[in-house]
Amino acid sequence: MSKEARPSWDSPMQFVLACVSYAVGLGNVWRFPYLCQMHGGGGFLIPYLLMLFLEGIPLFCMELAIGQKMRLGSIGAWTAISPYLGGLGIASVVTSMYLCLYYNVINAWSFWYLFHSFQSVLPWAECPVNANRTGYLEECEVASPTQYFFYRETLNISSSIDENGGLHMGQALCLLLAWIIVYLFIVRGVKSTGMVVYFTATFPYVVLFIYLIRGVTLHGAWNGVKYMFTPKLEQLANPQTWINAATQIFFSLGLGFGSLIAFSSYNHHNNDFEKQAVVISLINSGTSVFASVVTFSIYGFKATFNYESCLERMRLLCLNAFDLSEESISAENVTAWISHLNITHPERFAAIASKIEHCSLEAELDTAVEGTGLAFIVYSEAIKNMPLSQLWSVLYFIMLLLLGMGSMLGNVTAIITPLADIKLLTRFLSSESINGLVCLLCLLLGFGFTSRSGSYWFTIFNEYAATLSLLFIVFIEVISVCYIYGLRRFERDIEDMLGHRPNWYWKVMWAVVSPLLLFSLFIFYIINYIQGGTPTYQAWDKDLGRSVVKEYPVYGQVFIALLLLSALSCVPLAALHSVCRRKQRGTPIREHRHA
Amino acid sequence: MLAGVLLLIFLPPLVAKDLCKDSQDGFKVRLSIKTGLGDDAYEWNESEMFLFRSTLAYAMRKHSNQDTYTIDNILVCNDTQRVSFVFVVTSTDDPDQLIPKEQVELAVRQNKHRINNAFLLSDMTLEFMGIPPTLSAPIIYDTEPWLIVFGVVIGAVAVGIVALLMSTVSKKRRAKEKAAGLSEEDEGIVKENGTALSSLGRKEGVYNQAFSNDDRFTKL
Repeated sequence: MSKEARPSWDSPMQFVLACVSYAVGLGNVWRFPYLCQMHGGGGFLIPYLLMLFLEGIPLFCMELAIGQKMRLGSIGAWTAISPYLGGLGIASVVTSMYLCLYYNVINAWSFWYLFHSFQSVLPWAECPVNANRTGYLEECEVASPTQYFFYRETLNISSSIDENGGLHMGQALCLLLAWIIVYLFIVRGVKSTGMVVYFTATFPYVVLFIYLIRGVTLHGAWNGVKYMFTPKLEQLANPQTWINAATQIFFSLGLGFGSLIAFSSYNHHNNDFEKQAVVISLINSGTSVFASVVTFSIYGFKATFNYESCLERMRLLCLNAFDLSEESISAENVTAWISHLNITHPERFAAIASKIEHCSLEAELDTAVEGTGLAFIVYSEAIKNMPLSQLWSVLYFIMLLLLGMGSMLGNVTAIITPLADIKLLTRFLSSESINGLVCLLCLLLGFGFTSRSGSYWFTIFNEYAATLSLLFIVFIEVISVCYIYGLRRFERDIEDMLGHRPNWYWKVMWAVVSPLLLFSLFIFYIINYIQGGTPTYQAWDKDLGRSVVKEYPVYGQVFIALLLLSALSCVPLAALHSVCRRKQRGTPIREHRHA
Repeated sequence: MLAGVLLLIFLPPLVAKDLCKDSQDGFKVRLSIKTGLGDDAYEWNESEMFLFRSTLAYAMRKHSNQDTYTIDNILVCNDTQRVSFVFVVTSTDDPDQLIPKEQVELAVRQNKHRINNAFLLSDMTLEFMGIPPTLSAPIIYDTEPWLIVFGVVIGAVAVGIVALLMSTVSKKRRAKEKAAGLSEEDEGIVKENGTALSSLGRKEGVYNQAFSNDDRFTKL
């Protein structure tokens, strides 16, 4: 019996907005456009939508159903499904913890960029001047001003993961701010979260819409959009396309972290989660496509700008080397002139031949970037060339912040909901204190990511902490719901909540299709890890002005293995612990099974 | 006699041209007027060249603090269509003597801003080959602007948290007072089996175990 009723959302709308805010995150903006570009533009939508219906919507609905039925966080819910599966909940909490640690660092970077946008000249628009004011800093000259600002001034990155430096004070302050804001949003649990999600779920769409209008009116934007939407259907024959579509749907919806279970545990018993699951998943995918239109118009603008700058550089090179009048070569006939000059004055041309670049719009559009590089380097480079760049910069980073904060809400809720269910803790500490302690712990551990090599540790977490473990967790989830708990029992629970049984689509997906898909993805990942050899990372070389590939040192690889094992091993270890405890108590196992 | 006179007349410009062409102390100048000014570009002609020579003479005057430099001290050659040429500066005392490269460089660097403005151009569009431009000094702030914005935001958030926590604390205190107040009222009203029910949730009434709704683990 509970002393006070479980808190709940003020309205089903809050729940839907919370899920939208959680699912629509940075991945929709920086991963999906990249995948679209890599796998044939418009054609990628075919495997993407297929996977949405085969695994995305069914698994999403299943997690919502579990949370709403059990009315507990992930640990309690899985323990209720089967006493041996408490480890599944613990694995979810551990993975959420890892995610919280590194995800808020992205928000810290967004804050840093946001605060630096309030200057008359954006700091990443120009290189800083060197000591005797004769030129620009060397590192900035070989790289570009945007890259310099990100790697040197934002991260102060060292040249490999072995070199630790001190903490970057600015980053540490921004991380502190990010965690204080997260605490402010979750301090009262679902009551405070419910208020915040009205804003964090809707405002990014406002900004995306504004950016859409700005983006398509930019010079050269149409090149990018055309490039994206021309389908290259031959990419569909590549199995990598289908695998990437499946993993993108899976990670984009945020399954397996326990956040969805936590959110739906605050629902009323009869909330129609089935319809909501379909709506939220479709909104999530729709946002991905919408964001990629915006991204590609920005790409098109940037590629056209670079292409035209290249032509201008070549024009000046020819004019200066041959002392021709300025009107003789224009941007259109540069290439014609170059070949003409090569034929007529071969010796003089040979002197400048090393500096001649081949300017190609296609090559510029082909450079596909994803992740933090897209968000912080490519986008800021495009923004600095727009008129009124400070305004666009502020808008863009506010949008990134809202997307990131919205996802953080879900991540932290996935941790604090199971903690709030533990009676031992709630007896001694109020929920505000528990929430505060979780935020404080994550903040202190997160300071490690603000050191000079912090970005490399960030990459380790980003690539390994929540990928394989999630596939495993959700696979076990779907197997245990269908076969351990029993599909018929689950159907009856749903009938109890919704008033009707799930139709054949849901049952087939849950029982057959999704487990098969997940299992094959899991195997594929493992094969990839094994075949990939020593894991490598991109290290910033300040003399070359670009990233070079380096192998992880031994302790780095051990750490990666620990990350993976710590989440995966929770399931068998907890099951073992549960078996031992029962044997100890002498309770016959049969008594608790009512199939 | 006539030959000698002719030689005297024609020698200086010939010598001057040689001074300019062969010298090590000359600088190549390049102007990109169309690039810099677009539609407002002016035609490069003799008058503009005159202006250039006079600005350079001005620069030499300022640098050396001698008022003796005139436009004849600036010699120009290798004029091209690009609008690029080479110039040298002759000494005021001896027209065959050239001012060394370093001196000219210093003079130009000191007054580049004035020279640029005379032609409505910038360091990018009026280039002296071999003389690096002096870039404008970086702005030094007393307080970085980002810290100011950061301070504002973190202050607002801190106020928000304090307000929330205070309202939670006062809500709890009010609830406790109400509870203490109610328990004095209820004592005489509801009594079952002689036990005081102040320990149970009397705000919601009397809790009757028979209607327990708490089957989370529904045994079917």
